[in-house]
Amino acid sequence: MGKATRERSARERLAEQRRIEAQREKRTRMITVVGGALALILVAVGLVVYINSSKDKSEEYAGKLAPATREADGSIVMAQPGVTAPVLEIYEDFQCPACKNLEDTSGDTIKRLAAEGKAKVVYRPFRLFGQDPLKSNSERAANAALCAPADKWVRFHDEIFDNQPREGSVGFQNDDLIAWGGESGITGAGFENCVKQGEKNTQVASMTEYALNTAKVESTPTVKLDGEVITDAAFSPSDLEKAVASAK
Amino acid sequence: MVEAHETSEHEERDEPGPGRLVARAWTQWVTTVARVVLAGVLFWAGWVKFNEPPALQRQAVEAYELLPSGVAGAVGYGLPVLEMVLALLLVVGFATRFSAVISALLMVVFIAGIASVWARGLNIDCGCFGGGGTVAEGDTKYLQEILRDLGFLALAVWTAVFPPGRLSLDRRLGL
Repeated sequence: MGKATRERSARERLAEQRRIEAQREKRTRMITVVGGALALILVAVGLVVYINSSKDKSEEYAGKLAPATREADGSIVMAQPGVTAPVLEIYEDFQCPACKNLEDTSGDTIKRLAAEGKAKVVYRPFRLFGQDPLKSNSERAANAALCAPADKWVRFHDEIFDNQPREGSVGFQNDDLIAWGGESGITGAGFENCVKQGEKNTQVASMTEYALNTAKVESTPTVKLDGEVITDAAFSPSDLEKAVASAK
Repeated sequence: MVEAHETSEHEERDEPGPGRLVARAWTQWVTTVARVVLAGVLFWAGWVKFNEPPALQRQAVEAYELLPSGVAGAVGYGLPVLEMVLALLLVVGFATRFSAVISALLMVVFIAGIASVWARGLNIDCGCFGGGGTVAEGDTKYLQEILRDLGFLALAVWTAVFPPGRLSLDRRLGL
Protein backbone atom coordinates (compact mmCIF):
# COMPACT_ATOMS: atom_id res chain seq x y z
CA MET A 1 0.00 0.00 0.00
CA GLY A 2 1.48 3.29 -1.06
CA LYS A 3 1.71 6.29 1.16
CA ALA A 4 -0.85 8.21 -0.85
CA THR A 5 -3.39 5.40 -0.58
CA ARG A 6 -2.90 5.13 3.18
CA GLU A 7 -3.43 8.85 3.57
CA ARG A 8 -6.55 8.75 1.47
CA SER A 9 -8.06 5.90 3.43
CA ALA A 10 -7.20 7.70 6.68
CA ARG A 11 -8.94 10.78 5.35
CA GLU A 12 -11.92 8.69 4.35
CA ARG A 13 -12.07 7.08 7.76
CA LEU A 14 -11.97 10.49 9.36
CA ALA A 15 -14.70 11.75 7.08
CA GLU A 16 -16.77 8.65 7.81
CA GLN A 17 -16.33 9.20 11.51
CA ARG A 18 -17.34 12.84 11.21
CA ARG A 19 -20.41 11.85 9.30
CA ILE A 20 -21.43 9.34 11.96
CA GLU A 21 -20.87 11.93 14.64
CA ALA A 22 -22.91 14.49 12.75
CA GLN A 23 -25.71 11.97 12.38
CA ARG A 24 -25.57 11.10 16.04
CA GLU A 25 -25.65 14.75 16.95
CA LYS A 26 -28.60 15.32 14.66
CA ARG A 27 -30.44 12.45 16.29
CA THR A 28 -29.79 13.90 19.73
CA ARG A 29 -31.09 17.25 18.57
CA MET A 30 -34.17 15.59 17.11
CA ILE A 31 -34.87 13.76 20.35
CA THR A 32 -34.40 16.97 22.32
CA VAL A 33 -36.79 18.84 20.06
CA VAL A 34 -39.49 16.17 20.16
CA GLY A 35 -38.98 15.79 23.90
CA GLY A 36 -39.35 19.54 24.31
CA ALA A 37 -42.53 19.59 22.27
CA LEU A 38 -43.95 16.66 24.23
CA ALA A 39 -43.06 18.29 27.53
CA LEU A 40 -44.71 21.54 26.43
CA ILE A 41 -47.90 19.67 25.50
CA LEU A 42 -47.99 17.67 28.72
CA VAL A 43 -47.32 20.63 30.99
CA ALA A 44 -49.83 22.94 29.28
CA VAL A 45 -52.57 20.33 29.08
CA GLY A 46 -51.95 19.06 32.61
CA LEU A 47 -52.03 22.54 34.07
CA VAL A 48 -55.27 23.54 32.35
CA VAL A 49 -56.98 20.25 33.17
CA TYR A 50 -56.01 20.73 36.79
CA ILE A 51 -57.23 24.34 36.94
CA ASN A 52 -60.47 23.63 35.11
CA SER A 53 -61.39 20.60 37.13
CA SER A 54 -61.13 22.72 40.24
CA LYS A 55 -63.20 25.49 38.62
CA ASP A 56 -65.82 23.04 37.41
CA LYS A 57 -66.99 22.28 40.93
CA SER A 58 -70.58 22.37 41.94
CA GLU A 59 -71.82 23.15 45.38
CA GLU A 60 -74.28 21.10 47.37
CA TYR A 61 -77.09 23.16 48.77
CA ALA A 62 -79.22 21.24 51.22
CA GLY A 63 -80.73 24.23 52.99
CA LYS A 64 -84.29 25.42 52.94
CA LEU A 65 -85.62 26.50 49.57
CA ALA A 66 -87.18 29.87 48.91
CA PRO A 67 -90.97 29.59 48.58
CA ALA A 68 -92.19 28.65 45.11
CA THR A 69 -95.39 29.85 43.50
CA ARG A 70 -96.95 29.24 40.10
CA GLU A 71 -97.80 32.13 37.82
CA ALA A 72 -100.80 32.13 35.53
CA ASP A 73 -98.56 31.39 32.53
CA GLY A 74 -97.34 28.18 34.18
CA SER A 75 -93.90 29.42 35.16
CA ILE A 76 -92.63 28.72 38.67
CA VAL A 77 -91.28 31.60 40.72
CA MET A 78 -88.85 30.70 43.47
CA ALA A 79 -88.01 33.74 45.58
CA GLN A 80 -88.05 35.07 49.09
CA PRO A 81 -91.06 37.28 49.80
CA GLY A 82 -90.47 40.81 48.58
CA VAL A 83 -87.54 39.91 46.33
CA THR A 84 -88.39 41.14 42.84
CA ALA A 85 -84.96 41.64 41.29
CA PRO A 86 -82.74 40.60 39.70
CA VAL A 87 -84.83 38.12 37.73
CA LEU A 88 -83.07 34.90 36.81
CA GLU A 89 -85.08 33.01 34.20
CA ILE A 90 -84.31 29.42 33.31
CA TYR A 91 -85.69 28.06 30.07
CA GLU A 92 -85.27 24.32 29.94
CA ASP A 93 -86.56 21.11 28.46
CA PHE A 94 -86.65 18.11 30.79
CA GLN A 95 -85.35 15.87 28.01
CA CYS A 96 -82.40 18.07 27.10
CA PRO A 97 -79.04 16.69 28.32
CA ALA A 98 -77.46 20.14 28.43
CA CYS A 99 -80.27 21.26 30.75
CA LYS A 100 -79.54 18.33 33.03
CA ASN A 101 -75.91 19.36 32.93
CA LEU A 102 -76.86 22.92 33.90
CA GLU A 103 -78.91 21.58 36.81
CA ASP A 104 -76.07 19.30 37.92
CA THR A 105 -73.55 22.12 37.63
CA SER A 106 -75.39 25.16 38.90
CA GLY A 107 -78.79 23.94 40.12
CA ASP A 108 -77.86 24.14 43.78
CA THR A 109 -76.24 27.54 43.37
CA ILE A 110 -79.45 28.81 41.80
CA LYS A 111 -81.46 27.45 44.73
CA ARG A 112 -79.11 29.04 47.25
CA LEU A 113 -79.20 32.43 45.49
CA ALA A 114 -83.00 32.35 45.68
CA ALA A 115 -82.96 31.20 49.30
CA GLU A 116 -80.56 33.99 50.26
CA GLY A 117 -82.86 36.52 48.64
CA LYS A 118 -80.24 37.42 46.06
CA ALA A 119 -82.41 36.66 43.05
CA LYS A 120 -85.94 35.99 41.92
CA VAL A 121 -85.69 32.70 40.06
CA VAL A 122 -88.25 31.89 37.38
CA TYR A 123 -88.33 28.37 35.93
CA ARG A 124 -89.82 28.23 32.46
CA PRO A 125 -89.85 24.61 31.34
CA PHE A 126 -91.14 24.00 27.82
CA ARG A 127 -90.97 21.48 25.02
CA LEU A 128 -88.10 22.22 22.67
CA PHE A 129 -87.98 18.86 20.97
CA GLY A 130 -90.20 18.38 17.97
CA GLN A 131 -89.68 14.73 17.03
CA ASP A 132 -90.36 11.47 18.75
CA PRO A 133 -89.33 9.89 21.00
CA LEU A 134 -87.85 13.08 22.44
CA LYS A 135 -90.97 15.10 21.80
CA SER A 136 -93.29 12.81 23.74
CA ASN A 137 -90.79 12.30 26.56
CA SER A 138 -90.43 16.02 26.84
CA GLU A 139 -94.15 16.66 26.72
CA ARG A 140 -95.05 14.06 29.36
CA ALA A 141 -92.46 15.50 31.73
CA ALA A 142 -93.53 19.09 31.16
CA ASN A 143 -97.18 18.14 31.65
CA ALA A 144 -96.40 16.26 34.87
CA ALA A 145 -94.45 19.22 36.19
CA LEU A 146 -97.45 21.46 35.59
CA CYS A 147 -99.62 18.93 37.43
CA ALA A 148 -97.38 19.21 40.50
CA PRO A 149 -98.29 21.70 43.22
CA ALA A 150 -95.93 24.70 43.29
CA ASP A 151 -94.61 24.08 46.80
CA LYS A 152 -93.31 20.63 45.83
CA TRP A 153 -92.41 21.56 42.28
CA VAL A 154 -88.68 22.26 42.67
CA ARG A 155 -87.92 18.85 44.20
CA PHE A 156 -90.06 17.13 41.56
CA HIS A 157 -88.24 19.07 38.84
CA ASP A 158 -84.91 17.80 40.25
CA GLU A 159 -86.28 14.27 40.39
CA ILE A 160 -87.32 14.43 36.73
CA PHE A 161 -83.87 15.62 35.65
CA ASP A 162 -82.20 12.94 37.76
CA ASN A 163 -84.14 10.33 35.81
CA GLN A 164 -83.64 11.77 32.34
CA PRO A 165 -83.75 8.99 29.74
CA ARG A 166 -80.87 8.57 27.37
CA GLU A 167 -81.29 10.40 24.14
CA GLY A 168 -83.20 8.54 21.52
CA SER A 169 -84.94 6.19 23.93
CA VAL A 170 -88.48 6.32 25.21
CA GLY A 171 -88.68 7.43 28.81
CA PHE A 172 -90.57 9.68 31.24
CA GLN A 173 -93.45 7.21 31.28
CA ASN A 174 -96.49 8.49 33.16
CA ASP A 175 -96.24 5.76 35.80
CA ASP A 176 -92.62 6.68 36.45
CA LEU A 177 -93.48 10.36 36.64
CA ILE A 178 -96.19 9.59 39.18
CA ALA A 179 -93.73 7.51 41.22
CA TRP A 180 -91.13 10.30 41.20
CA GLY A 181 -93.91 12.67 42.23
CA GLY A 182 -94.50 10.40 45.21
CA GLU A 183 -90.84 10.64 46.15
CA SER A 184 -91.15 14.41 46.06
CA GLY A 185 -94.18 14.26 48.33
CA ILE A 186 -96.84 14.63 45.66
CA THR A 187 -99.72 12.17 45.95
CA GLY A 188 -103.40 11.92 45.22
CA ALA A 189 -105.75 10.97 42.43
CA GLY A 190 -105.83 14.53 41.14
CA PHE A 191 -102.11 14.50 40.34
CA GLU A 192 -102.23 10.98 38.90
CA ASN A 193 -105.12 11.77 36.58
CA CYS A 194 -103.58 15.02 35.52
CA VAL A 195 -100.37 13.20 34.56
CA LYS A 196 -102.11 10.29 32.84
CA GLN A 197 -104.61 12.38 30.92
CA GLY A 198 -102.06 14.96 29.85
CA GLU A 199 -104.36 17.58 31.32
CA LYS A 200 -101.79 20.35 31.04
CA ASN A 201 -100.65 19.67 27.49
CA THR A 202 -102.34 22.84 26.25
CA GLN A 203 -100.44 24.90 28.75
CA VAL A 204 -97.19 23.13 27.77
CA ALA A 205 -97.91 24.25 24.22
CA SER A 206 -98.49 27.84 25.27
CA MET A 207 -95.32 27.87 27.37
CA THR A 208 -93.43 26.53 24.37
CA GLU A 209 -94.96 29.20 22.19
CA TYR A 210 -93.92 31.84 24.74
CA ALA A 211 -90.34 30.56 25.00
CA LEU A 212 -89.75 30.24 21.26
CA ASN A 213 -91.68 33.19 19.91
CA THR A 214 -91.89 35.77 22.67
CA ALA A 215 -88.68 35.13 24.60
CA LYS A 216 -86.85 34.14 21.39
CA VAL A 217 -85.18 31.15 23.01
CA GLU A 218 -83.29 29.23 20.36
CA SER A 219 -81.75 26.43 22.37
CA THR A 220 -81.94 24.91 25.78
CA PRO A 221 -80.96 25.66 28.36
CA THR A 222 -81.22 29.42 28.06
CA VAL A 223 -80.61 31.43 31.19
CA LYS A 224 -81.55 35.09 31.30
CA LEU A 225 -80.66 37.62 33.93
CA ASP A 226 -82.99 40.60 33.78
CA GLY A 227 -83.71 39.65 30.18
CA GLU A 228 -80.10 39.33 29.14
CA VAL A 229 -78.85 35.90 28.03
CA ILE A 230 -76.12 34.64 30.39
CA THR A 231 -76.27 30.94 29.58
CA ASP A 232 -72.51 30.45 29.31
CA ALA A 233 -71.85 32.13 32.64
CA ALA A 234 -74.61 30.06 34.22
CA PHE A 235 -72.53 26.94 33.56
CA SER A 236 -69.98 28.21 36.04
CA PRO A 237 -71.43 28.52 39.55
CA SER A 238 -68.96 31.26 40.49
CA ASP A 239 -69.58 33.27 37.30
CA LEU A 240 -73.31 32.93 37.83
CA GLU A 241 -73.02 34.20 41.36
CA LYS A 242 -70.92 37.17 40.21
CA ALA A 243 -73.39 38.02 37.44
CA VAL A 244 -76.28 37.97 39.88
CA ALA A 245 -74.37 40.06 42.42
CA SER A 246 -73.50 42.72 39.86
CA ALA A 247 -77.03 42.84 38.47
CA LYS A 248 -78.43 43.92 41.78
CA MET B 1 -33.03 36.82 6.49
CA VAL B 2 -34.59 33.52 7.42
CA GLU B 3 -35.17 32.65 3.81
CA ALA B 4 -31.69 33.60 2.72
CA HIS B 5 -30.26 31.38 5.41
CA GLU B 6 -32.45 28.49 4.42
CA THR B 7 -31.79 28.67 0.73
CA SER B 8 -28.07 28.82 1.22
CA GLU B 9 -27.85 26.01 3.70
CA HIS B 10 -30.43 23.51 2.56
CA GLU B 11 -31.94 23.67 -0.91
CA GLU B 12 -32.53 20.30 -2.52
CA ARG B 13 -29.00 19.28 -1.69
CA ASP B 14 -30.25 17.39 1.35
CA GLU B 15 -28.63 14.02 0.92
CA PRO B 16 -31.35 11.65 -0.27
CA GLY B 17 -30.80 8.74 2.09
CA PRO B 18 -32.13 5.29 1.39
CA GLY B 19 -35.91 5.27 1.06
CA ARG B 20 -36.09 8.96 1.66
CA LEU B 21 -38.30 11.10 -0.51
CA VAL B 22 -36.31 13.76 -2.24
CA ALA B 23 -37.44 17.04 -0.77
CA ARG B 24 -38.29 19.22 -3.70
CA ALA B 25 -38.62 22.94 -3.18
CA TRP B 26 -42.31 23.03 -3.97
CA THR B 27 -43.27 20.22 -1.59
CA GLN B 28 -41.58 22.13 1.20
CA TRP B 29 -43.61 25.22 0.38
CA VAL B 30 -46.80 23.14 0.29
CA THR B 31 -45.87 21.86 3.75
CA THR B 32 -45.55 25.42 4.96
CA VAL B 33 -49.02 26.25 3.66
CA ALA B 34 -50.45 23.04 5.17
CA ARG B 35 -48.83 23.86 8.51
CA VAL B 36 -50.19 27.38 8.59
CA VAL B 37 -53.73 26.37 7.57
CA LEU B 38 -53.83 23.47 10.04
CA ALA B 39 -52.41 25.66 12.79
CA GLY B 40 -55.02 28.33 12.10
CA VAL B 41 -57.86 25.83 12.29
CA LEU B 42 -56.53 24.16 15.43
CA PHE B 43 -55.90 27.42 17.18
CA TRP B 44 -59.32 28.78 16.35
CA ALA B 45 -61.02 25.57 17.47
CA GLY B 46 -59.04 25.50 20.69
CA TRP B 47 -59.42 29.17 21.50
CA VAL B 48 -63.21 29.25 21.15
CA LYS B 49 -63.59 26.21 23.39
CA PHE B 50 -60.97 27.44 25.85
CA ASN B 51 -63.05 30.55 26.52
CA GLU B 52 -66.16 28.62 27.45
CA PRO B 53 -66.96 27.70 31.03
CA PRO B 54 -65.40 24.33 31.98
CA ALA B 55 -68.82 22.73 32.42
CA LEU B 56 -69.62 23.40 28.76
CA GLN B 57 -66.25 22.00 27.67
CA ARG B 58 -67.06 18.87 29.63
CA GLN B 59 -70.58 18.70 28.24
CA ALA B 60 -69.42 18.88 24.63
CA VAL B 61 -67.50 15.65 25.25
CA GLU B 62 -70.20 14.02 27.37
CA ALA B 63 -72.64 14.50 24.50
CA TYR B 64 -70.76 11.82 22.55
CA GLU B 65 -71.70 9.31 25.27
CA LEU B 66 -68.43 7.46 24.73
CA LEU B 67 -66.42 8.22 27.86
CA PRO B 68 -67.17 7.86 31.57
CA SER B 69 -67.90 11.27 33.09
CA GLY B 70 -64.59 11.72 34.93
CA VAL B 71 -62.63 11.05 31.76
CA ALA B 72 -64.98 13.18 29.65
CA GLY B 73 -64.22 16.12 31.94
CA ALA B 74 -60.47 15.79 31.56
CA VAL B 75 -60.77 15.41 27.78
CA GLY B 76 -63.10 18.39 27.62
CA TYR B 77 -60.73 20.66 29.55
CA GLY B 78 -57.54 19.33 27.96
CA LEU B 79 -58.51 19.24 24.30
CA PRO B 80 -58.65 23.03 23.71
CA VAL B 81 -55.14 23.49 25.12
CA LEU B 82 -53.80 20.52 23.20
CA GLU B 83 -55.17 22.04 20.01
CA MET B 84 -53.67 25.43 20.76
CA VAL B 85 -50.25 24.03 21.64
CA LEU B 86 -50.22 21.90 18.48
CA ALA B 87 -51.15 25.01 16.49
CA LEU B 88 -48.24 26.86 18.02
CA LEU B 89 -45.78 24.04 17.28
CA LEU B 90 -47.03 23.72 13.71
CA VAL B 91 -46.95 27.40 12.90
CA VAL B 92 -43.35 27.81 14.03
CA GLY B 93 -42.40 24.41 12.64
CA PHE B 94 -40.98 22.98 15.84
CA ALA B 95 -40.98 19.16 16.10
CA THR B 96 -43.01 19.36 12.91
CA ARG B 97 -43.36 15.68 12.09
CA PHE B 98 -44.22 14.84 15.68
CA SER B 99 -46.83 17.62 15.89
CA ALA B 100 -48.29 16.65 12.53
CA VAL B 101 -48.60 13.01 13.57
CA ILE B 102 -50.39 13.99 16.80
CA SER B 103 -52.69 16.30 14.82
CA ALA B 104 -53.45 13.52 12.35
CA LEU B 105 -54.26 11.11 15.19
CA LEU B 106 -56.48 13.76 16.72
CA MET B 107 -58.39 14.12 13.46
CA VAL B 108 -58.80 10.35 13.23
CA VAL B 109 -60.25 10.35 16.76
CA PHE B 110 -62.61 13.22 15.86
CA ILE B 111 -63.80 11.47 12.71
CA ALA B 112 -64.32 8.19 14.57
CA GLY B 113 -66.23 10.01 17.32
CA ILE B 114 -68.56 11.75 14.90
CA ALA B 115 -69.08 8.56 12.89
CA SER B 116 -69.92 6.67 16.06
CA VAL B 117 -72.45 9.31 17.14
CA TRP B 118 -73.98 9.25 13.68
CA ALA B 119 -74.22 5.45 13.71
CA ARG B 120 -75.89 5.48 17.12
CA GLY B 121 -78.48 8.00 15.94
CA LEU B 122 -77.68 10.67 18.51
CA ASN B 123 -78.44 14.28 17.65
CA ILE B 124 -75.50 16.40 18.66
CA ASP B 125 -73.33 19.21 17.45
CA CYS B 126 -69.76 17.95 17.16
CA GLY B 127 -68.61 20.81 19.37
CA CYS B 128 -65.56 21.10 17.17
CA PHE B 129 -65.47 24.87 17.32
CA GLY B 130 -67.11 25.38 20.68
CA GLY B 131 -70.72 24.78 21.52
CA GLY B 132 -71.73 21.19 21.28
CA GLY B 133 -74.43 19.25 22.99
CA THR B 134 -77.81 18.29 21.67
CA VAL B 135 -79.37 19.81 18.59
CA ALA B 136 -82.78 19.31 17.07
CA GLU B 137 -83.20 16.31 14.81
CA GLY B 138 -82.40 17.25 11.24
CA ASP B 139 -79.95 19.91 12.42
CA THR B 140 -77.05 17.50 12.59
CA LYS B 141 -74.19 18.05 10.16
CA TYR B 142 -72.27 14.82 10.53
CA LEU B 143 -71.33 14.41 6.88
CA GLN B 144 -69.99 17.97 6.56
CA GLU B 145 -68.14 17.62 9.86
CA ILE B 146 -66.50 14.38 8.77
CA LEU B 147 -65.55 15.70 5.33
CA ARG B 148 -64.10 18.83 6.89
CA ASP B 149 -62.03 16.78 9.33
CA LEU B 150 -60.85 14.54 6.46
CA GLY B 151 -59.53 17.69 4.79
CA PHE B 152 -57.63 18.62 7.96
CA LEU B 153 -56.39 15.04 8.23
CA ALA B 154 -54.98 15.31 4.71
CA LEU B 155 -53.08 18.48 5.69
CA ALA B 156 -51.68 16.77 8.78
CA VAL B 157 -50.63 13.68 6.84
CA TRP B 158 -48.92 15.79 4.18
CA THR B 159 -47.00 17.67 6.86
CA ALA B 160 -46.00 14.42 8.56
CA VAL B 161 -44.75 12.98 5.26
CA PHE B 162 -42.92 16.10 4.04
CA PRO B 163 -41.69 17.91 7.13
CA PRO B 164 -40.67 20.48 8.13
CA GLY B 165 -41.43 22.92 5.29
CA ARG B 166 -39.99 26.36 4.67
CA LEU B 167 -39.89 28.96 7.43
CA SER B 168 -39.58 26.44 10.23
CA LEU B 169 -37.59 26.27 13.42
CA ASP B 170 -36.74 22.66 12.67
CA ARG B 171 -34.92 23.81 9.53
CA ARG B 172 -32.98 26.42 11.47
CA LEU B 173 -32.01 23.74 13.94
CA GLY B 174 -30.78 21.62 11.03
CA LEU B 175 -33.34 18.87 11.42
